[in-house]
Order: sequence, then structure tokens, then C-alpha cells
Amino acid sequence: MSSPEEYIDLKGKVLSLARLDPDEQGLVRGFMARAEGHPDWNEYRNFWMSTVWDFYSARGLTRRATQQTLPYLIGQDLCSRIGISAGYVRQSDYRDELEQLIRTRFSNRREFCEATGLAEDMLSHVLARRKHLAVDTLAEALARVGYTLHIVPMPRSVSHT
Amino acid sequence: MTQSPLLECSFFIPLCRDANLSDGMLQSIEAWDWLDHEMFFNFDGGTIAPGEYEGFYRDPDTHERVFDKSRKFLVAVQASRLHELRALLAAACVIFGQKCIYLCVAGQVEFVAYELP
Repeated sequence: MSSPEEYIDLKGKVLSLARLDPDEQGLVRGFMARAEGHPDWNEYRNFWMSTVWDFYSARGLTRRATQQTLPYLIGQDLCSRIGISAGYVRQSDYRDELEQLIRTRFSNRREFCEATGLAEDMLSHVLARRKHLAVDTLAEALARVGYTLHIVPMPRSVSHT
Repeated sequence: MTQSPLLECSFFIPLCRDANLSDGMLQSIEAWDWLDHEMFFNFDGGTIAPGEYEGFYRDPDTHERVFDKSRKFLVAVQASRLHELRALLAAACVIFGQKCIYLCVAGQVEFVAYELP
């Protein structure tokens, strides 16, 4: 469960709101209040993104720095929940996270396979959702590149808890 | 220094991955987050038009008519930075499982595809 001092995102990551200043906390409360009204997914995306941009550009933050802030991450997470709730977005699974890991940490699938010991053919089948990796195989492969698996609570779609 | 003129650009991102190229499933959270991230960083976020856009096209490989639903993005881009938008959409082809992405630049339509480096 989330308390007023924390936010649990769709991946089960706990974000502490205690280190936000009062204005930032107000920004997050505004995002949550708007999300609880079940807004249109696209409308909400335009809202949170322009609001967070206005807020932090007034403080002189760069866009890159703004993307690291909790309000940015929470706005994006709330928007994802709205998209899932409306049936526009798929709740991700380990294969989406694998794709993201490959995209952000490796130059291509081959490099990832060389680092993890996974066969390229197998990875291709897994990412195309034709096959699954055994949990121990996945855990061993991830460990070779410094990652691990976690079991987290299933997220509720729109609520922030 | 004179700023190059802003051009109104719009592009469509289908809600589902291409069934022939990929698995036809709904896009993932990660894919939309990536696009938001790139749009925010490079183009101040742009705007998404309300609603979803239904359309169809003939698949160049299967020659079958394909129906899809998309989100429409609007963004004002300097002419000198159009190549950045095209590069972003080429990457989006891979991430969103599309053969190409419809892009309209000041009324002129083009299809951006991913090309192997």
C-alpha cells in the first residue's frame, strides 16, 4: 500500500514523496487528483507533460533534469495506469523489460546474447512471444549482466496504490 | 541568428504492433514511455490529438488490407530539425513493431521506415 509519503509505481518501485518540497508535493497531488477523475488517456498525457514542463522550466531545470524528477515519473506512471484501465495499453511483462534492457544497455540483441549467454534464436522467439524462458535460465542470464528478478505486487490500474 | 521556420508535423502511432511483422498485441507501457521521453526531451512533448484514429492500409508484403487504430501526435518542428523527427520515428518503427510510420510535414505525407545501419 502507498502512504501519503510514498508512491508505488507499476513496477512495484517505492518512490518517497517525503523529499519533495511543498510545491512539488502539490504538483503530485494535482496529478493524482486529476487521474482519479478517470480522464481521457491522451488528454491526461498532454496535461501532465505540459504541467511538469512549466513547473520545472520555471525553476530553471533542463528537460533532461526534469525527466529525473519524481513528479515526472509519477505523471508518466499515472498516465500509463489510465491507458491500461482504458484498454489502450498492455500491462508489461518480463519480455517488455528485456526489450527495454536491450535497447537501453546494449547496442543490439547480438551483443546482449553474447553478454548473457542466451541463444539469439531463443531470444527472438521469447521477444516475439512464441516461447518463454525458464526462470532459472533468465535469472542466470540476467545475473551475468548485473540484473536480477523481483516479485512485486500486481498494480491496480488507475489508483496510485 | 534567424530561426528556421516551424513546420506543423503530425504522425500516427498504432495502438497495436503490426501482426505480420510482430505479434499484433497492444503496445507496451515501455514503448509509450519511450516515446513520451523522446518527445519531451527533443520536442517539448508535442500534443496528442483527442481520441483514436481508425484507418486502413494495404500491407506491402501480404497485400492484405489492414485496419488499425492510432494515436495522432502533433508537433511544431524547425525545418532544420526535421531529420531528428524522422530519426525518432525510424527508431519508433522498431520499438512499436511497425514497418513504417505515417508522417505529415506541413501537408506533405511521407512514410518513415527503419533502415538497417
